[in-house]
Amino acid sequence: MSDELTVELLDVRGEICPYPMIRTNKELDGRDPAPQTLDVLTDHPPALSTIPPEAMKRGYGCEIEEVAAGEWKIHLFK
Amino acid sequence: MQNIIDTNRFKITNYSFWVWATIIAIAGLVLILSITDQPVPAIYWIVGIVFGITVQRSRFCFTSAFRDFFLLGQTRMIKGILVGLAVSSIGFVMVMSTVAPNPGFGSFPSDAHVLPVGLSTLIAGTLFGIGMVLAGGCVSGSLYRMGEGYIASWVAILGVMIGLFLLNNTWNWWWDNLISQEMAVWIPAELSYSGALGITAIGLLVVLFVALSRERRVTAGFVMPEIKKLDTHETPATTTGEIIGYLKNIFREEWSPIVGGIILAMVNIILFIRFHPLGVVGEISRWATSFVNLFGIPPVDLKGIDGLGACAAVVVEGGSWFTETFFLNVGIVAGAAASAIFAREFKLRVPRSPVRYIQSIIGGTIMGYGAGLGLGCTLGAFFSAVPSLALNGWVYALGLAIGSYISVQWIKRFP
Repeated sequence: MSDELTVELLDVRGEICPYPMIRTNKELDGRDPAPQTLDVLTDHPPALSTIPPEAMKRGYGCEIEEVAAGEWKIHLFK
Repeated sequence: MQNIIDTNRFKITNYSFWVWATIIAIAGLVLILSITDQPVPAIYWIVGIVFGITVQRSRFCFTSAFRDFFLLGQTRMIKGILVGLAVSSIGFVMVMSTVAPNPGFGSFPSDAHVLPVGLSTLIAGTLFGIGMVLAGGCVSGSLYRMGEGYIASWVAILGVMIGLFLLNNTWNWWWDNLISQEMAVWIPAELSYSGALGITAIGLLVVLFVALSRERRVTAGFVMPEIKKLDTHETPATTTGEIIGYLKNIFREEWSPIVGGIILAMVNIILFIRFHPLGVVGEISRWATSFVNLFGIPPVDLKGIDGLGACAAVVVEGGSWFTETFFLNVGIVAGAAASAIFAREFKLRVPRSPVRYIQSIIGGTIMGYGAGLGLGCTLGAFFSAVPSLALNGWVYALGLAIGSYISVQWIKRFP
Protein backbone atom coordinates (compact mmCIF):
# COMPACT_ATOMS: atom_id res chain seq x y z
CA MET A 1 0.00 0.00 0.00
CA SER A 2 2.69 2.47 1.00
CA ASP A 3 4.39 1.76 -2.30
CA GLU A 4 1.28 2.97 -4.15
CA LEU A 5 1.41 6.32 -2.41
CA THR A 6 5.03 7.14 -3.21
CA VAL A 7 4.65 6.60 -6.95
CA GLU A 8 4.51 9.96 -8.65
CA LEU A 9 2.28 10.56 -11.63
CA LEU A 10 3.35 12.61 -14.63
CA ASP A 11 0.29 13.41 -16.70
CA VAL A 12 1.28 14.17 -20.29
CA ARG A 13 -2.12 13.51 -21.87
CA GLY A 14 -2.86 15.84 -24.78
CA GLU A 15 0.83 16.13 -25.62
CA ILE A 16 2.18 14.67 -28.85
CA CYS A 17 5.67 13.68 -29.94
CA PRO A 18 8.27 14.52 -28.87
CA TYR A 19 6.88 16.18 -25.73
CA PRO A 20 5.69 13.14 -23.72
CA MET A 21 9.22 11.77 -23.96
CA ILE A 22 10.99 15.09 -23.39
CA ARG A 23 8.93 15.78 -20.28
CA THR A 24 9.57 12.26 -18.96
CA ASN A 25 13.31 12.59 -19.53
CA LYS A 26 13.29 15.97 -17.80
CA GLU A 27 11.57 14.42 -14.81
CA LEU A 28 14.14 11.58 -14.68
CA ASP A 29 17.21 13.75 -15.27
CA GLY A 30 16.30 17.01 -13.62
CA ARG A 31 15.88 15.91 -10.02
CA ASP A 32 18.37 15.05 -7.34
CA PRO A 33 18.10 12.34 -6.21
CA ALA A 34 16.60 10.79 -9.34
CA PRO A 35 13.12 9.38 -8.72
CA GLN A 36 12.97 5.68 -7.88
CA THR A 37 9.63 5.27 -9.60
CA LEU A 38 7.55 7.35 -11.98
CA ASP A 39 4.19 6.73 -13.62
CA VAL A 40 3.66 8.47 -16.94
CA LEU A 41 0.09 8.83 -18.13
CA THR A 42 -0.19 9.34 -21.89
CA ASP A 43 -2.80 9.17 -24.65
CA HIS A 44 -0.22 9.32 -27.45
CA PRO A 45 0.50 5.77 -28.72
CA PRO A 46 3.91 6.54 -30.31
CA ALA A 47 5.15 7.54 -26.84
CA LEU A 48 4.81 3.86 -25.89
CA SER A 49 7.72 3.07 -28.18
CA THR A 50 9.83 6.19 -27.55
CA ILE A 51 9.70 6.50 -23.73
CA PRO A 52 10.81 2.92 -22.80
CA PRO A 53 14.18 2.97 -24.61
CA GLU A 54 14.99 6.43 -23.22
CA ALA A 55 14.10 5.32 -19.69
CA MET A 56 16.10 2.12 -20.06
CA LYS A 57 19.15 4.14 -21.15
CA ARG A 58 18.83 5.78 -17.74
CA GLY A 59 18.68 2.45 -15.94
CA TYR A 60 14.95 2.19 -15.41
CA GLY A 61 12.73 -0.84 -15.88
CA CYS A 62 9.46 -0.34 -17.65
CA GLU A 63 5.89 -1.71 -17.64
CA ILE A 64 3.03 -0.48 -19.81
CA GLU A 65 -0.59 -0.86 -18.89
CA GLU A 66 -3.70 0.27 -20.76
CA VAL A 67 -5.85 2.24 -18.31
CA ALA A 68 -8.70 3.40 -20.56
CA ALA A 69 -9.54 3.55 -24.25
CA GLY A 70 -6.57 5.31 -25.81
CA GLU A 71 -4.79 5.93 -22.51
CA TRP A 72 -1.81 4.14 -21.05
CA LYS A 73 0.24 4.24 -17.89
CA ILE A 74 3.97 3.70 -18.28
CA HIS A 75 5.41 2.54 -14.97
CA LEU A 76 9.12 3.28 -14.65
CA PHE A 77 11.14 1.85 -11.75
CA LYS A 78 14.77 1.53 -10.68
CA MET B 1 -6.52 6.52 -10.97
CA GLN B 2 -10.33 6.20 -11.01
CA ASN B 3 -11.05 9.91 -11.23
CA ILE B 4 -8.67 10.23 -14.17
CA ILE B 5 -10.60 7.65 -16.18
CA ASP B 6 -13.94 9.24 -15.31
CA THR B 7 -12.94 12.67 -16.57
CA ASN B 8 -12.17 11.13 -19.95
CA ARG B 9 -15.47 12.00 -21.59
CA PHE B 10 -14.73 11.15 -25.19
CA LYS B 11 -13.85 7.49 -25.05
CA ILE B 12 -15.65 4.78 -26.92
CA THR B 13 -17.85 2.86 -24.56
CA ASN B 14 -19.72 0.59 -26.91
CA TYR B 15 -16.89 -1.18 -28.66
CA SER B 16 -18.62 -3.68 -30.94
CA PHE B 17 -21.22 -1.13 -32.06
CA TRP B 18 -18.49 1.23 -33.25
CA VAL B 19 -16.51 -1.56 -34.91
CA TRP B 20 -19.54 -2.65 -36.94
CA ALA B 21 -20.57 0.93 -37.71
CA THR B 22 -17.06 1.60 -39.02
CA ILE B 23 -16.95 -1.52 -41.19
CA ILE B 24 -20.42 -0.79 -42.61
CA ALA B 25 -19.51 2.84 -43.35
CA ILE B 26 -16.32 1.88 -45.21
CA ALA B 27 -17.94 -0.96 -47.16
CA GLY B 28 -21.04 1.16 -47.78
CA LEU B 29 -19.07 3.83 -49.61
CA VAL B 30 -17.34 1.16 -51.73
CA LEU B 31 -20.80 -0.15 -52.63
CA ILE B 32 -22.19 3.31 -53.44
CA LEU B 33 -19.19 4.18 -55.63
CA SER B 34 -19.41 0.82 -57.38
CA ILE B 35 -23.11 0.93 -58.22
CA THR B 36 -22.81 4.56 -59.39
CA ASP B 37 -20.13 3.36 -61.81
CA GLN B 38 -17.15 5.10 -60.20
CA PRO B 39 -14.66 2.24 -59.88
CA VAL B 40 -11.54 4.45 -59.74
CA PRO B 41 -12.67 6.56 -56.77
CA ALA B 42 -13.67 3.29 -55.08
CA ILE B 43 -10.13 1.94 -55.57
CA TYR B 44 -8.60 5.16 -54.22
CA TRP B 45 -10.93 4.99 -51.23
CA ILE B 46 -9.79 1.43 -50.47
CA VAL B 47 -6.13 2.40 -50.97
CA GLY B 48 -6.63 5.31 -48.55
CA ILE B 49 -8.21 2.98 -45.98
CA VAL B 50 -5.35 0.44 -46.28
CA PHE B 51 -2.81 3.28 -46.03
CA GLY B 52 -4.56 4.73 -42.96
CA ILE B 53 -4.73 1.38 -41.18
CA THR B 54 -1.07 0.60 -41.97
CA VAL B 55 0.34 3.90 -40.74
CA GLN B 56 -1.88 3.84 -37.65
CA ARG B 57 -0.88 0.29 -36.67
CA SER B 58 2.82 0.72 -37.38
CA ARG B 59 2.91 4.29 -35.97
CA PHE B 60 4.62 5.14 -39.25
CA CYS B 61 5.89 8.67 -38.98
CA PHE B 62 8.32 10.40 -41.33
CA THR B 63 8.69 13.26 -38.86
CA SER B 64 9.85 11.04 -36.02
CA ALA B 65 12.37 9.34 -38.33
CA PHE B 66 14.18 12.65 -38.83
CA ARG B 67 13.44 14.31 -35.49
CA ASP B 68 14.18 11.42 -33.14
CA PHE B 69 17.48 10.77 -34.87
CA PHE B 70 18.69 14.31 -34.21
CA LEU B 71 16.98 14.61 -30.82
CA LEU B 72 17.82 11.21 -29.30
CA GLY B 73 19.77 9.13 -31.77
CA GLN B 74 16.84 6.73 -32.31
CA THR B 75 16.74 4.90 -35.66
CA ARG B 76 13.59 2.74 -35.36
CA MET B 77 11.57 4.62 -37.96
CA ILE B 78 14.50 5.30 -40.30
CA LYS B 79 14.83 1.52 -40.77
CA GLY B 80 11.15 1.22 -41.69
CA ILE B 81 11.42 4.00 -44.28
CA LEU B 82 14.62 2.57 -45.79
CA VAL B 83 13.07 -0.89 -46.16
CA GLY B 84 9.98 0.70 -47.73
CA LEU B 85 12.15 2.64 -50.20
CA ALA B 86 14.15 -0.48 -51.10
CA VAL B 87 11.02 -2.55 -51.81
CA SER B 88 9.27 0.20 -53.75
CA SER B 89 12.42 0.95 -55.81
CA ILE B 90 12.43 -2.63 -57.12
CA GLY B 91 8.71 -2.49 -57.86
CA PHE B 92 8.94 0.94 -59.50
CA VAL B 93 11.76 -0.26 -61.77
CA MET B 94 9.53 -3.12 -62.90
CA VAL B 95 6.72 -0.69 -63.71
CA MET B 96 8.94 1.93 -65.36
CA SER B 97 10.96 -0.53 -67.44
CA THR B 98 7.69 -1.86 -68.86
CA VAL B 99 6.49 1.62 -69.80
CA ALA B 100 9.90 2.93 -70.98
CA PRO B 101 12.18 0.02 -71.92
CA ASN B 102 14.92 2.32 -73.25
CA PRO B 103 15.69 4.86 -70.52
CA GLY B 104 18.69 6.14 -72.52
CA PHE B 105 16.32 8.19 -74.68
CA GLY B 106 15.83 10.34 -71.62
CA SER B 107 12.04 10.44 -71.61
CA PHE B 108 10.88 9.18 -68.24
CA PRO B 109 7.45 7.64 -67.56
CA SER B 110 5.19 10.69 -67.20
CA ASP B 111 3.59 9.40 -64.00
CA ALA B 112 6.87 8.85 -62.15
CA HIS B 113 7.71 11.57 -59.61
CA VAL B 114 10.64 13.05 -61.54
CA LEU B 115 10.86 16.81 -60.98
CA PRO B 116 13.19 19.72 -61.74
CA VAL B 117 15.98 19.49 -59.21
CA GLY B 118 18.06 22.28 -57.76
CA LEU B 119 18.05 24.95 -55.09
CA SER B 120 14.23 25.09 -55.13
CA THR B 121 14.11 21.39 -54.16
CA LEU B 122 16.51 21.94 -51.26
CA ILE B 123 14.63 25.03 -50.03
CA ALA B 124 11.31 23.20 -50.28
CA GLY B 125 12.61 20.19 -48.34
CA THR B 126 14.19 22.40 -45.67
CA LEU B 127 10.98 24.41 -45.17
CA PHE B 128 9.00 21.17 -45.01
CA GLY B 129 11.44 19.72 -42.45
CA ILE B 130 11.21 22.81 -40.23
CA GLY B 131 7.42 22.80 -40.45
CA MET B 132 6.83 19.12 -39.84
CA VAL B 133 8.90 18.98 -36.66
CA LEU B 134 7.19 22.13 -35.38
CA ALA B 135 3.71 20.79 -36.20
CA GLY B 136 4.48 17.33 -34.80
CA GLY B 137 3.71 15.51 -38.04
CA CYS B 138 4.11 15.76 -41.81
CA VAL B 139 1.14 16.17 -44.17
CA SER B 140 0.22 12.49 -44.46
CA GLY B 141 1.07 12.07 -40.78
CA SER B 142 -1.30 14.89 -39.81
CA LEU B 143 -4.00 13.39 -42.06
CA TYR B 144 -3.91 10.07 -40.24
CA ARG B 145 -3.67 11.72 -36.82
CA MET B 146 -6.82 13.66 -37.74
CA GLY B 147 -8.50 10.27 -37.96
CA GLU B 148 -7.10 9.16 -34.61
CA GLY B 149 -8.73 12.17 -32.96
CA TYR B 150 -5.87 14.65 -32.59
CA ILE B 151 -7.37 18.15 -32.66
CA ALA B 152 -3.90 19.71 -33.15
CA SER B 153 -3.56 17.79 -36.43
CA TRP B 154 -6.77 19.36 -37.79
CA VAL B 155 -5.14 22.73 -37.01
CA ALA B 156 -1.93 21.59 -38.73
CA ILE B 157 -3.80 20.64 -41.93
CA LEU B 158 -5.53 24.03 -41.85
CA GLY B 159 -2.02 25.51 -41.67
CA VAL B 160 -0.97 23.37 -44.65
CA MET B 161 -3.88 24.81 -46.66
CA ILE B 162 -2.81 28.35 -45.71
CA GLY B 163 0.78 27.53 -46.71
CA LEU B 164 -0.33 26.11 -50.06
CA PHE B 165 -2.48 29.18 -50.71
CA LEU B 166 0.50 31.44 -49.99
CA LEU B 167 2.74 29.33 -52.23
CA ASN B 168 0.26 29.38 -55.10
CA ASN B 169 0.26 33.17 -54.92
CA THR B 170 4.06 33.36 -55.01
CA TRP B 171 4.70 30.35 -57.29
CA ASN B 172 5.35 32.43 -60.40
CA TRP B 173 8.25 34.21 -58.65
CA TRP B 174 9.87 30.86 -57.83
CA TRP B 175 9.19 29.67 -61.37
CA ASP B 176 10.75 32.74 -63.00
CA ASN B 177 13.79 32.89 -60.73
CA LEU B 178 14.58 29.25 -60.01
CA ILE B 179 12.45 26.36 -61.19
CA SER B 180 12.27 27.26 -64.89
CA GLN B 181 16.09 27.04 -65.02
CA GLU B 182 16.27 23.70 -63.25
CA MET B 183 16.38 20.36 -65.06
CA ALA B 184 14.80 17.09 -64.02
CA VAL B 185 17.44 14.41 -63.45
CA TRP B 186 16.19 10.88 -63.95
CA ILE B 187 19.03 8.53 -62.96
CA PRO B 188 18.17 5.64 -65.39
CA ALA B 189 18.63 8.05 -68.32
CA GLU B 190 22.28 8.38 -67.33
CA LEU B 191 23.05 4.95 -65.86
CA SER B 192 20.37 2.53 -67.19
CA TYR B 193 17.86 0.88 -64.86
CA SER B 194 20.28 -1.54 -63.24
CA GLY B 195 22.84 1.20 -62.64
CA ALA B 196 20.19 3.51 -61.15
CA LEU B 197 18.87 0.74 -58.94
CA GLY B 198 22.42 -0.05 -57.81
CA ILE B 199 23.12 3.60 -56.97
CA THR B 200 19.83 3.80 -55.06
CA ALA B 201 20.70 0.64 -53.10
CA ILE B 202 24.13 2.08 -52.24
CA GLY B 203 22.51 5.36 -51.19
CA LEU B 204 20.05 3.58 -48.90
CA LEU B 205 22.84 1.47 -47.37
CA VAL B 206 24.99 4.57 -46.75
CA VAL B 207 22.06 6.25 -44.94
CA LEU B 208 21.52 3.06 -42.90
CA PHE B 209 25.21 2.90 -42.03
CA VAL B 210 25.40 6.56 -40.99
CA ALA B 211 22.19 6.22 -38.94
CA LEU B 212 23.36 3.07 -37.14
CA SER B 213 26.84 4.40 -36.47
CA ARG B 214 25.38 7.49 -34.81
CA GLU B 215 22.63 5.61 -32.98
CA ARG B 216 22.63 6.06 -29.23
CA ARG B 217 21.90 2.49 -28.23
CA VAL B 218 20.18 1.06 -25.26
CA THR B 219 22.16 -1.63 -23.46
CA ALA B 220 22.15 -4.94 -25.26
CA GLY B 221 19.09 -7.12 -25.06
CA PHE B 222 16.54 -4.35 -25.16
CA VAL B 223 13.03 -5.58 -25.84
CA MET B 224 9.95 -3.39 -26.03
CA PRO B 225 7.79 -4.06 -22.98
CA GLU B 226 4.49 -5.88 -23.53
CA ILE B 227 1.45 -3.66 -23.23
CA LYS B 228 -1.02 -4.98 -20.68
CA LYS B 229 -4.43 -4.57 -22.31
CA LEU B 230 -7.67 -4.00 -20.47
CA ASP B 231 -9.46 -6.88 -22.18
CA THR B 232 -7.86 -10.25 -22.81
CA HIS B 233 -7.39 -12.10 -26.04
CA GLU B 234 -9.52 -15.00 -24.88
CA THR B 235 -12.13 -15.90 -27.45
CA PRO B 236 -14.57 -18.84 -27.46
CA ALA B 237 -13.09 -22.06 -28.85
CA THR B 238 -15.24 -22.06 -31.95
CA THR B 239 -14.48 -21.46 -35.62
CA THR B 240 -15.69 -17.85 -35.47
CA GLY B 241 -13.84 -17.45 -32.21
CA GLU B 242 -10.63 -18.46 -33.92
CA ILE B 243 -11.17 -16.03 -36.80
CA ILE B 244 -11.91 -13.22 -34.34
CA GLY B 245 -8.70 -14.20 -32.55
CA TYR B 246 -6.68 -13.76 -35.73
CA LEU B 247 -8.31 -10.40 -36.46
CA LYS B 248 -7.61 -9.25 -32.92
CA ASN B 249 -3.98 -10.19 -33.36
CA ILE B 250 -3.76 -8.10 -36.51
CA PHE B 251 -5.78 -5.08 -35.49
CA ARG B 252 -5.05 -4.84 -31.76
CA GLU B 253 -1.29 -5.36 -31.74
CA GLU B 254 1.33 -2.88 -32.97
CA TRP B 255 3.08 -3.57 -36.26
CA SER B 256 6.78 -2.84 -36.57
CA PRO B 257 7.80 0.16 -38.72
CA ILE B 258 9.50 -2.29 -41.11
CA VAL B 259 6.22 -4.15 -41.69
CA GLY B 260 4.58 -0.75 -42.19
CA GLY B 261 7.25 0.30 -44.70
CA ILE B 262 6.84 -2.90 -46.73
CA ILE B 263 3.04 -2.59 -46.90
CA LEU B 264 3.23 1.10 -47.90
CA ALA B 265 5.74 0.15 -50.61
CA MET B 266 3.39 -2.55 -51.95
CA VAL B 267 0.46 -0.10 -51.94
CA ASN B 268 2.60 2.43 -53.79
CA ILE B 269 3.69 -0.12 -56.42
CA ILE B 270 0.13 -1.35 -57.01
CA LEU B 271 -1.09 2.23 -57.38
CA PHE B 272 1.74 3.05 -59.81
CA ILE B 273 1.04 -0.03 -61.98
CA ARG B 274 -2.41 1.25 -62.87
CA PHE B 275 -2.43 4.97 -61.98
CA HIS B 276 0.35 7.05 -60.42
CA PRO B 277 2.42 6.90 -57.20
CA LEU B 278 1.17 8.02 -53.80
CA GLY B 279 0.86 11.72 -53.04
CA VAL B 280 -1.59 13.79 -51.01
CA VAL B 281 -0.54 17.41 -51.47
CA GLY B 282 -2.02 18.18 -54.89
CA GLU B 283 -5.46 17.42 -53.50
CA ILE B 284 -5.01 19.57 -50.39
CA SER B 285 -3.81 22.38 -52.65
CA ARG B 286 -7.04 21.98 -54.61
CA TRP B 287 -9.00 22.23 -51.34
CA ALA B 288 -7.19 25.48 -50.49
CA THR B 289 -7.83 26.97 -53.93
CA SER B 290 -11.46 25.86 -54.03
CA PHE B 291 -12.06 27.16 -50.52
CA VAL B 292 -10.78 30.69 -51.14
CA ASN B 293 -12.62 30.60 -54.47
CA LEU B 294 -15.86 30.51 -52.45
CA PHE B 295 -14.92 34.00 -51.26
CA GLY B 296 -14.35 35.22 -54.80
CA ILE B 297 -10.58 34.82 -54.89
CA PRO B 298 -9.86 33.32 -58.31
CA PRO B 299 -7.29 30.54 -58.83
CA VAL B 300 -3.85 31.84 -59.80
CA ASP B 301 -2.45 30.97 -63.21
CA LEU B 302 0.57 28.88 -62.22
CA LYS B 303 3.36 29.07 -64.77
CA GLY B 304 4.81 25.83 -66.07
CA ILE B 305 2.70 23.70 -63.75
CA ASP B 306 1.16 21.57 -66.50
CA GLY B 307 4.48 20.05 -67.46
CA LEU B 308 5.48 19.10 -63.93
CA GLY B 309 3.36 16.22 -62.65
CA ALA B 310 3.84 14.64 -59.19
CA CYS B 311 1.72 16.56 -56.70
CA ALA B 312 1.26 19.68 -58.82
CA ALA B 313 -2.09 21.22 -58.06
CA VAL B 314 -4.57 20.59 -60.83
CA VAL B 315 -7.65 22.75 -60.53
CA VAL B 316 -10.32 21.91 -63.05
CA GLU B 317 -12.76 24.77 -63.37
CA GLY B 318 -16.22 23.50 -62.52
CA GLY B 319 -14.86 20.00 -61.94
CA SER B 320 -16.34 17.62 -59.40
CA TRP B 321 -15.36 18.06 -55.77
CA PHE B 322 -15.13 14.32 -55.40
CA THR B 323 -11.98 13.51 -57.35
CA GLU B 324 -9.98 10.29 -57.07
CA THR B 325 -7.42 11.84 -54.76
CA PHE B 326 -10.21 13.30 -52.63
CA PHE B 327 -11.12 9.71 -51.79
CA LEU B 328 -7.46 8.87 -51.16
CA ASN B 329 -7.00 11.68 -48.64
CA VAL B 330 -10.34 11.19 -46.92
CA GLY B 331 -9.68 7.43 -47.01
CA ILE B 332 -6.43 7.95 -45.07
CA VAL B 333 -8.32 9.87 -42.38
CA ALA B 334 -11.09 7.26 -42.30
CA GLY B 335 -8.68 4.30 -42.35
CA ALA B 336 -6.72 5.68 -39.40
CA ALA B 337 -9.98 6.36 -37.56
CA ALA B 338 -11.15 2.79 -38.26
CA SER B 339 -7.84 1.35 -37.15
CA ALA B 340 -7.84 3.41 -33.96
CA ILE B 341 -11.41 2.29 -33.24
CA PHE B 342 -10.54 -1.40 -33.83
CA ALA B 343 -7.55 -1.07 -31.50
CA ARG B 344 -9.61 0.83 -28.87
CA GLU B 345 -7.25 3.77 -29.26
CA PHE B 346 -9.61 6.37 -30.65
CA LYS B 347 -9.91 9.42 -28.43
CA LEU B 348 -10.36 13.13 -28.98
CA ARG B 349 -7.00 14.46 -27.93
CA VAL B 350 -7.05 18.11 -26.97
CA PRO B 351 -3.74 19.87 -26.28
CA ARG B 352 -3.87 21.70 -22.96
CA SER B 353 -1.18 24.21 -23.78
CA PRO B 354 -2.18 26.96 -26.25
CA VAL B 355 1.43 26.97 -27.48
CA ARG B 356 0.72 23.65 -29.23
CA TYR B 357 -2.01 25.20 -31.41
CA ILE B 358 0.34 28.01 -32.41
CA GLN B 359 3.03 25.44 -33.24
CA SER B 360 0.54 23.45 -35.33
CA ILE B 361 -0.71 26.40 -37.35
CA ILE B 362 2.74 27.93 -37.92
CA GLY B 363 4.41 24.55 -38.54
CA GLY B 364 1.57 23.55 -40.86
CA THR B 365 1.86 26.78 -42.83
CA ILE B 366 5.65 26.47 -43.29
CA MET B 367 5.25 22.81 -44.23
CA GLY B 368 2.42 23.58 -46.66
CA TYR B 369 4.53 26.24 -48.36
CA GLY B 370 7.43 23.79 -48.69
CA ALA B 371 5.14 21.05 -49.99
CA GLY B 372 3.78 23.38 -52.65
CA LEU B 373 7.23 24.54 -53.71
CA GLY B 374 8.60 20.97 -53.77
CA LEU B 375 5.48 19.64 -55.53
CA GLY B 376 4.91 17.08 -52.82
CA CYS B 377 5.27 16.13 -49.18
CA THR B 378 7.24 13.34 -47.53
CA LEU B 379 5.11 11.00 -49.65
CA GLY B 380 5.00 12.57 -53.11
CA ALA B 381 8.38 14.33 -53.18
CA PHE B 382 10.31 11.74 -51.16
CA PHE B 383 8.71 8.31 -50.61
CA SER B 384 7.44 8.19 -54.22
CA ALA B 385 10.36 10.15 -55.76
CA VAL B 386 13.33 8.09 -54.55
CA PRO B 387 11.87 4.86 -56.02
CA SER B 388 11.08 6.81 -59.20
CA LEU B 389 14.91 6.89 -59.41
CA ALA B 390 14.74 10.68 -59.51
CA LEU B 391 17.50 12.85 -58.06
CA ASN B 392 14.93 15.28 -56.67
CA GLY B 393 13.84 12.67 -54.09
CA TRP B 394 17.32 12.59 -52.56
CA VAL B 395 17.78 16.38 -52.57
CA TYR B 396 14.36 16.82 -50.97
CA ALA B 397 15.35 14.28 -48.28
CA LEU B 398 18.56 16.22 -47.61
CA GLY B 399 16.39 19.32 -47.16
CA LEU B 400 14.10 17.42 -44.77
CA ALA B 401 17.15 16.46 -42.69
CA ILE B 402 18.47 20.05 -42.61
CA GLY B 403 15.04 21.47 -41.73
CA SER B 404 14.43 18.87 -39.01
CA TYR B 405 17.85 19.58 -37.51
CA ILE B 406 17.06 23.32 -37.37
CA SER B 407 13.65 22.72 -35.80
CA VAL B 408 15.03 20.22 -33.26
CA GLN B 409 17.40 22.92 -31.96
CA TRP B 410 14.38 25.13 -31.41
CA ILE B 411 12.44 22.36 -29.66
CA LYS B 412 15.39 21.60 -27.35
CA ARG B 413 15.48 25.24 -26.29
CA PHE B 414 11.74 25.74 -25.81
CA PRO B 415 10.17 22.55 -24.52
